Amino acid sequence: MVNSKLSTLLLCILSLSLHSVAQLSVRGKVTGPEGPLPGATVIQKGANKSVLTGNNGEFLMDVPPDARLIFRYVGFNEREVAVNGQAIVNVAMTRDVRNLGDVVVVGYGTQKRKDLTGSIATLGAAAYKDQPVVNVTSALQGRVAGVAITNNSGAPGGEVKIRIRGANSVNASNNPLFVVDGIALTSIDLRDINVNDIESMEVLKDASATAVYGSRGANGVVIITTRTGKAGVTKVDYNGFVSFNKPMKQYDLLDAVKYAEMVNLRAGSPVFPDPAGFAGKTTDWQHLIFNEAVTHSHQLSLSGGTEKARYFVSGFYLNGNGLLDNSSQKKFGLRTNLNMKVNEKLSVGLNLFASRTHSRNNGDMGYKGNPVTAALTWAPTEPVYDDAAGKIYNRNGISPIWTNPYLTIREANSQNFNNVLIANGRIHYAFTDWLSLTVNAGLDASISRGAFLRNNFLTPGNMGAGQGSSENHTFQNSNVLTFQKAFNKHALTVTALAENTSSVWSGFNATGAGLTSATNGYHNLALNASQSISSNYGNSALLSYMGRVSYVFDDKYLFTASVRRDGSSKFQGKNKWGTFPSFSAAWRLSETSFVKDLNIFSNLKIRAGWGKTGNQGIAAYSTLGALTPALYSYGGSTGFQSYTLGSPQTPDVKWETTSQTDVGIDIGLFNGRMNITADYYNKNTKDLLLFTRINHYDGGGSFLKNVGKVNNKGVELSIDATPVETGDFMWTTGLNVSFNRNKVVNLGKDSIIFRNHIGGGLITTSIQAIKVGEPLGAFYLIPWEGIFQADHTATGNKAGDNKYQDVSGNNSIGFEDRVIAGNATPRVQWGFNNNLKYKNFDLNVFIQGSHGNSIFNATYAATAVPSSDVAYPTLAATANYWTPQNTTAVWADPTSKTSRNYIESTQFLQDASYIRLRNISLSYQFPKSMLRSFGPAKFTVSAQNYFTITKYKGYDPEATSTSASSDADAGIDLGAYPSPKTITLGLNITF
Amino acid sequence: MLAACGKAFLEETPKGSVLPATFYKNASDLNQATRGIALMFNGAWNQTGGMAITFGADDITTHRGGNKISFSDFDTYQANSSNDRMTNWWIYFYRTIKSANSLIANYENATEATADERSFAGGEAYFYRAICYFFLTRAWGEVPLVTEPGIDPDRPNEKVPQIYDLIVADLKRAETMLPDNWQGLKKQNGVNIAPTKGSAKALLANVYLTMAGWPLQQTDKYALAAAKAKEVLDKKETWGYGLLDNFGDIFKKEGKYNKEAVFACYYNNQVPGGAWENGSQMGPPNFMPGEEGGWDEAFGEITFYNKFPEGPRKEATYRRTYFLNNDVNKPVDYTGLLHKHPYFMKYNDDISYNQTNHSMSDWWGSHTVFVIRFAEVLLTYAEARAMSQSPDNSAYDAINAVRKRAGLKDLAPGLSQSAFRDSVIAERGWEFSGCEPAARWFDLVRTETVARATKDRHASEVPLKNTPDDATHRFYWAPVPVVK
Repeated sequence: MVNSKLSTLLLCILSLSLHSVAQLSVRGKVTGPEGPLPGATVIQKGANKSVLTGNNGEFLMDVPPDARLIFRYVGFNEREVAVNGQAIVNVAMTRDVRNLGDVVVVGYGTQKRKDLTGSIATLGAAAYKDQPVVNVTSALQGRVAGVAITNNSGAPGGEVKIRIRGANSVNASNNPLFVVDGIALTSIDLRDINVNDIESMEVLKDASATAVYGSRGANGVVIITTRTGKAGVTKVDYNGFVSFNKPMKQYDLLDAVKYAEMVNLRAGSPVFPDPAGFAGKTTDWQHLIFNEAVTHSHQLSLSGGTEKARYFVSGFYLNGNGLLDNSSQKKFGLRTNLNMKVNEKLSVGLNLFASRTHSRNNGDMGYKGNPVTAALTWAPTEPVYDDAAGKIYNRNGISPIWTNPYLTIREANSQNFNNVLIANGRIHYAFTDWLSLTVNAGLDASISRGAFLRNNFLTPGNMGAGQGSSENHTFQNSNVLTFQKAFNKHALTVTALAENTSSVWSGFNATGAGLTSATNGYHNLALNASQSISSNYGNSALLSYMGRVSYVFDDKYLFTASVRRDGSSKFQGKNKWGTFPSFSAAWRLSETSFVKDLNIFSNLKIRAGWGKTGNQGIAAYSTLGALTPALYSYGGSTGFQSYTLGSPQTPDVKWETTSQTDVGIDIGLFNGRMNITADYYNKNTKDLLLFTRINHYDGGGSFLKNVGKVNNKGVELSIDATPVETGDFMWTTGLNVSFNRNKVVNLGKDSIIFRNHIGGGLITTSIQAIKVGEPLGAFYLIPWEGIFQADHTATGNKAGDNKYQDVSGNNSIGFEDRVIAGNATPRVQWGFNNNLKYKNFDLNVFIQGSHGNSIFNATYAATAVPSSDVAYPTLAATANYWTPQNTTAVWADPTSKTSRNYIESTQFLQDASYIRLRNISLSYQFPKSMLRSFGPAKFTVSAQNYFTITKYKGYDPEATSTSASSDADAGIDLGAYPSPKTITLGLNITF
Repeated sequence: MLAACGKAFLEETPKGSVLPATFYKNASDLNQATRGIALMFNGAWNQTGGMAITFGADDITTHRGGNKISFSDFDTYQANSSNDRMTNWWIYFYRTIKSANSLIANYENATEATADERSFAGGEAYFYRAICYFFLTRAWGEVPLVTEPGIDPDRPNEKVPQIYDLIVADLKRAETMLPDNWQGLKKQNGVNIAPTKGSAKALLANVYLTMAGWPLQQTDKYALAAAKAKEVLDKKETWGYGLLDNFGDIFKKEGKYNKEAVFACYYNNQVPGGAWENGSQMGPPNFMPGEEGGWDEAFGEITFYNKFPEGPRKEATYRRTYFLNNDVNKPVDYTGLLHKHPYFMKYNDDISYNQTNHSMSDWWGSHTVFVIRFAEVLLTYAEARAMSQSPDNSAYDAINAVRKRAGLKDLAPGLSQSAFRDSVIAERGWEFSGCEPAARWFDLVRTETVARATKDRHASEVPLKNTPDDATHRFYWAPVPVVK
């Protein structure tokens, strides 16, 4: 069909040519660095005549022999070639690294890159084409200056932390706003989006760019544009890979013999009468819980269309097994993007995306006693089974108190089924060539169901099952009126917006205990002897108006001003509405004759901007002081609804406001082969929405206050260059570095606020605090100074005991001796990407690094010292303990009766800086002649996370158990789920 | 399409939540509030944590290894304000107080409830607030006295007399406002789960008895204690109280609800979707030796064990036989165990516990914690009667009822006031030893005998780090938690 269309087109051109004289039939092929460019425009200069290249990049056109042809393709440098009477004109186009001609998607409109006044980075899909990615965040990680991404959980579909220019807020969300085709993701998660549907992402970083998003703009905005079909080019694209995952490293633990000896030593009596008898009987719990997991990904898309109607249809299937045994995620989904031009004035678009995700046991972010902490601490002297033949697990061991990790991981049965939909329709109507209206209406929705079964192994004598379902949806309607006119040296764009967003979520949960039989799984909850039902409902709404004026004078001086007003249901009464203005200006020095005469800069622009954005990222109803529900059973097995008093009502709470100043420079050198962008920013967030801890004597918990200020200052630098470009060989490289300094400036009348206590039983008090002058995520720990080398009478310690600094000077060590020690917020992040292309081979080497943060490694601590949950340590290093002969040892004398172990000390704070080889891939592009029936095919072998340089002693310096949404409670590894290292084989076929 | 009118569009409709403004209106609201209070109070007793404070007494001890150091710190008088175990009481008693304060401030507004329903709910709130402060002040002495819902980041500690003033006032209200008996859910198997008039009176008797001793030394309270305890004894049929014939039956899983409970905390580990506070960790592993799969959390002190008179009570308090690795063919007595101490067994008989080989399948259990037993009312009466008047027949009858059940002969007649009192204190120690809330520690503190009780500490116990002092009352109060 495509061919027939193409030949019709060619016939038309041919027939036209009959009427001309002295025409030359020119044939040719347009190629880019990766191969043929279908859909490129070929224009005869000075004549109203153009053709598009076909599937193989070829074109045919009748032109006068002295004609000049112009070749255009989005994202490539325009080329002009003289025909000079030749019948064949082959053209190689180079990627426009400057992207100056590109149109950039800004909030509620588009702008030419050269006209931008704010700080906006663009990431096209081509940038990560050599790295197998299954989610948006791994495409972004390390590739955009100022965007910090951390894989908190290595579970398939696990939590990822995303920060743009640091964290502003203590309690409200610090997640950026993600806008997909104009619809702000609200009811669904970024992880639900299929990364392969993405054409490009624009990262809006400074306030002049984000202020148009007002109350949701403070954390930066990522605008995602999905693919659309190109007129005249039908393309079928298959992209598939299979990955083989392994743990990045293992803890070095005691074997059973050494463990038994150490236990005897520590207990001061023969708990194990015959340690040597355990020779060859070590249980390697760590090995038991990790899997060598395989991930499959298959992507198929079809795109094309005519000038009137274009389409992009894609489907994907992803099946990922987790590194931890018995955890997995399967996803599949479909997208249809349609664009129709009804007439010259009216065009409509419709995008539909639906997907289903089935996750199995992958909700484990880490907690004390989870399979990771349990496997690392379970006595190697314990067998897995009491009776292996009868599959009777050894349930409880000598240490720790947690249940056999192999039992918990094998018998776990927790499932989640999530169905996601994004639908949005657009109507664009051009009243005149300078005034248009765009109406975008969208729905994002998720319907999910969770289910679990607790069998008799997990809770002996009390099986249970439950199901819960939830439905979230958000409706958004944006109406944008755009005025755009150029006259003489003036160009003016005015945008006006009215928008409303409303979300509703509801759900119910039914769980039971005393299940009579596990044979029905969780499908017949009536078999539970006792039942518990709960339900919930919530809503929130946002009403917004925005206006923006962009003015360009003489292509040199650029100005933008905007103001947005937002009303949010999350706040009460007079605090509902907030106003968010911004101003910015830029000067394109490269357009001045002075700079032009220098002949150095292909582009030189300085930018400056200021703006205010807000944060309303608190849960709905947070200010109402709702009662806390719980069930109480009067000793029976049925729970009855009860309420305890919640936190106090806080009607005066209002928006958090962030003011940001940004100064930047864009430099293009060597005729665009090297581009440098540098930005300095200074962000002040005030009226922090702070959950302030309530003293235990007032019932504990926390309440919301607007207090304090946080400052983020930073510098970002990104350099893209093509150092070498010859016929066969090309090297492109990109480096981006961001420095961010986060500081709490003020906390109202407090100078320090303690965070909630995490990991009770292992960690016995709060180990993080927010303190004026320190970054968010500061640790608050007792300074550990090693081991006493001599008896110390003041504290009653003996040589060989742990030595802590008596900060309070009261001759006793306790939590009063805690001090600020390090923090969980990285200061420097960078990415260094290299593509080397030689003939049909492509080599990608992508290195990423993060520096300046620490992790409190509670997992490691659990293996290293006795605690209320773990009676005997398992860490191999602890066998090298202090003795009068071994005074350099860092582990206290286990026989001491005077030594105390404070897990809450700097002993377990570890440097989490790392440099990681994110991706190395080698691909081979099969020449077309080798695969006649297919189009271009590419085979790739790659490795992800294969090398990491770090001092961190845990599994993975990215993995933490603290929620990705928080920066004040951050950087604690308590059985966190590590990311794997991966070998991937990939295949890409286009036809 | 932007039809949404600003004002209505931006209102919150919290249909899924319950707000204070619309709560406390009817009987159902009041019930939900009292359940919340009971649940929080349960949280103070479903683990050994808070009981660490009572380890300074001569009946209970632990080893100084690994994770037991925080208990041992109290046992050996070196606990500091960072002690992690004691905070469980602090946190849960104050959580209970917070919800009780809210109900006290609101119960009278429940206009859709009957006068009785309002009175009963208010009475429960007063009772719980009083019992929480009673434990708080006995454990820590001067503590913040919070009597209204609200937040104050700089609350000072209140003096002890003011704290007792509130406790007595609350209990006087509770004994008039509470019913004699509950109906429906609050009565299970014929036993009142929620506090009654009887519970309030029994508690008030204990409070008076404590006020007569250290630190208040208000000896006039002995008479009040005796009178209040007598009310409970005289009307015991009204509330269904009595002594079980067989001491061991009190702690059997079949005896989960029994008439000896004047006030108790009840648990069930099978409550679906339930809160932590509905189940209990106060179960077998705490008081079992490592050889049987236990945690060695606590065990009996040797001297106290040796002095403990033989009989069914001793048999039901300590285990005699232990099975190494749960092998019934490897029985040993306590000297054959690693820690060479007798282990308590009052909390062992739970559904996860195998009586045959002493193995257990779960540490999460359902054992009842008896906060006030009828035996305590008898002993309170005996002591208070003797101290306010003389050890008359009624005082002898009361203590002898407890002794008889324990398999002991009647107390020698004609004892002096102080000798009789000492006998009651000893009797209380034996009766409640093994981690019952009526802990011996509180008796030693109020009778200023903490230091004296350490004199006979057995040589095999962990040596004391510091010595308490009965004159200066050093180590009588636990250090107030560093994070208040």
